[in-house]
Amino acid sequence: MVKRNLGLICLLTLAAFLMTAPVSAQQVRGVTDTEILIGQTGPQTGPAAAWGAVARGSGLFFKGINDEGGIHGRKIKYFLRDDGYQPAKTKAIGTEFVEQIGIFGVVGCVGVGPGMSVRDYYTENKVLMVSFGCSGVTNWIQPFNRYIFPVYQLYVDEAKALTRYFYENMKLTKVAVFYQNDDYGKQGLEGVERYEKEKGLKVVAAVSAEVTDRDLSSHALKLKNSGAEAVVLWAMPTHGALLLAECAKIGYKPQWGTSSTLSDGPLMMQITKGLWAGMINSFPIEPPDSNNPLMVKYRAWHQKYEPNERWGTFYYSGCLYAEPLAEGLRRAGRNLTPETFIKAMETIRDWRGAIGAPITFTPTDHQGTRDTRFAQVQPDGSMKILTDWIRITK
Amino acid sequence: MLGQLIVSGLAVGACYSLLALAMVIIYKTSDVLNFAQGEMAMISTYVAFTLMESYHVPFQWAVIFTFLFAILLGAFFELVFLRQAKDPTVLGLIIITLGFEMILMGFAGWKWGPDQRSLAFPVSNIETYNFFGLVMSKINFWTIVISLVLMFILFLFFRYTKVGIAMRATQQNQLAARVMGIRTKWILSFTWAISSMVGAVAGMLIAALGVLDPPMMMDPLMKSFASAVLGGMTSLPGTAVGGAMLGIIENLFGGYVSLSFKSVVAFAIIVLMLCIKPSGLLAKHYVKKV
Repeated sequence: MVKRNLGLICLLTLAAFLMTAPVSAQQVRGVTDTEILIGQTGPQTGPAAAWGAVARGSGLFFKGINDEGGIHGRKIKYFLRDDGYQPAKTKAIGTEFVEQIGIFGVVGCVGVGPGMSVRDYYTENKVLMVSFGCSGVTNWIQPFNRYIFPVYQLYVDEAKALTRYFYENMKLTKVAVFYQNDDYGKQGLEGVERYEKEKGLKVVAAVSAEVTDRDLSSHALKLKNSGAEAVVLWAMPTHGALLLAECAKIGYKPQWGTSSTLSDGPLMMQITKGLWAGMINSFPIEPPDSNNPLMVKYRAWHQKYEPNERWGTFYYSGCLYAEPLAEGLRRAGRNLTPETFIKAMETIRDWRGAIGAPITFTPTDHQGTRDTRFAQVQPDGSMKILTDWIRITK
Repeated sequence: MLGQLIVSGLAVGACYSLLALAMVIIYKTSDVLNFAQGEMAMISTYVAFTLMESYHVPFQWAVIFTFLFAILLGAFFELVFLRQAKDPTVLGLIIITLGFEMILMGFAGWKWGPDQRSLAFPVSNIETYNFFGLVMSKINFWTIVISLVLMFILFLFFRYTKVGIAMRATQQNQLAARVMGIRTKWILSFTWAISSMVGAVAGMLIAALGVLDPPMMMDPLMKSFASAVLGGMTSLPGTAVGGAMLGIIENLFGGYVSLSFKSVVAFAIIVLMLCIKPSGLLAKHYVKKV
């Protein structure tokens, strides 16, 4: 009797185990009843640390969202890791994110090199990548990857549109390029070359610099000797400051233009001692003092949670890059899996957050933004918007 | 273009010379290559920046306080880190300087953040002097003057003062120097303090020429190391010659050969000099007798 009961108990226990096993197998990585686990890598130390403000800005956004009750009853648990802009570190952190922490997705993660080091690994593990890389290189959309949702304007198209603006609006036909010798800089150069080719023109000088270079005197001389009326600058802030100073020394004053990565007017005006005034750049986000209701809300969060952070472009763009993720989570509903999230994201059409440009994702095309506008830096560091939204990516 | 490339090369070479000077002072006394030199200079420059920006200290007082800080920083490093090393080899001490470099870099990132800053400086980086049609910014000109004056003062100091001679004696044979009554430990601290101060001068000038941020000395440090190797690791005039030559060679290479490979020139020079004349152009070949 006892034996029969014992057998029955064992059988029932086994049945109960088998019944619960499928449930645990269905559990989605990084999603619990009360939390969604999101990660971000970003350089908090090293030469590219200024861009690390993006990751902290996303942290501010999630704090605010959590304070409002989270999304569908779940709070965002956010993991920020410093990769020092070193792809090897990013890869190690990526493994930690997936295999130890178990994240649902990542947001932002500044850098082409760092992003490329984990792109395929994240894809294999179905990690959602929203606003991935925070950069407008084509690496996130070619080949098409259904787990990546980039929102940055493509550099190639941005540079091409800037050259067109010089040519059509300012009648500047002799254009030179100063670019950082990496994917970011080269895609800027490519954009300028594409437009020049269409017009049957040639770039009068293409001058590159390594990320670590600190002496740009011979670069400035080459640009001056090219006779360029306008120079398109696709580099990092330090190079922008050094190059403008060197050009000013030798009396070379072309019309400058640059990418949205150097759109922090107050910072650039400060480090160039005013030489940045007159710079024309792509400005696809709301200005820092915008009256957009979302920007007002983010500034209030900034004052409440992180008042010591500088409200600079890089920092608040961290909020803006996290917006599409939050929108996707809202649309996906309570039944959150990678598949429901992707389907929800692919319903986003001409959606506007504080990020400015309208965002659209379709099942066959994940390049979120296709528009930008141009602005000019004023002597007080503020931006004067020069154009309406322009469609730059077909 | 040739003349302007040479003038610009001289100007940037003066910055390399200044930092190389700081490295050579330590190398002359202790055979140690100080890889923390750049970050020590960067921290001192941040101190000057903070004094002027946050406490509105006038420039000249900020410079004086920064020099004091740099002296204390150099002596602190020697006392707290290097002196505590147990039976240190030269290689071990060099590794300690690498560790200190990372500590300082992390500290600067934590304390001042990664944003680029502009160091207020009384001499303009944009206004220029005109020499027969060739332009040089005022700050570049004064950097050359300052590096030559500092080099001359240090040359006199090492040649004619008791402390200077004691420093050279300590480098050549620490035990014999101690037997002769030289307080070698004190001399070492003093050397690090002086070197740190010279580095602070370089740091402030380099920040005024460009921007102030934690990695600002990474490139200049490597170039100054190349300058010191080119001129001679134990020669003070060698740093000036090495710095000027490197600046000019780099600029000419960038101007006429390839800008993409301009930054590689310095490293090619290190390799070439170590193969052809390891002691450098102006230093005597020195073989340690055992």
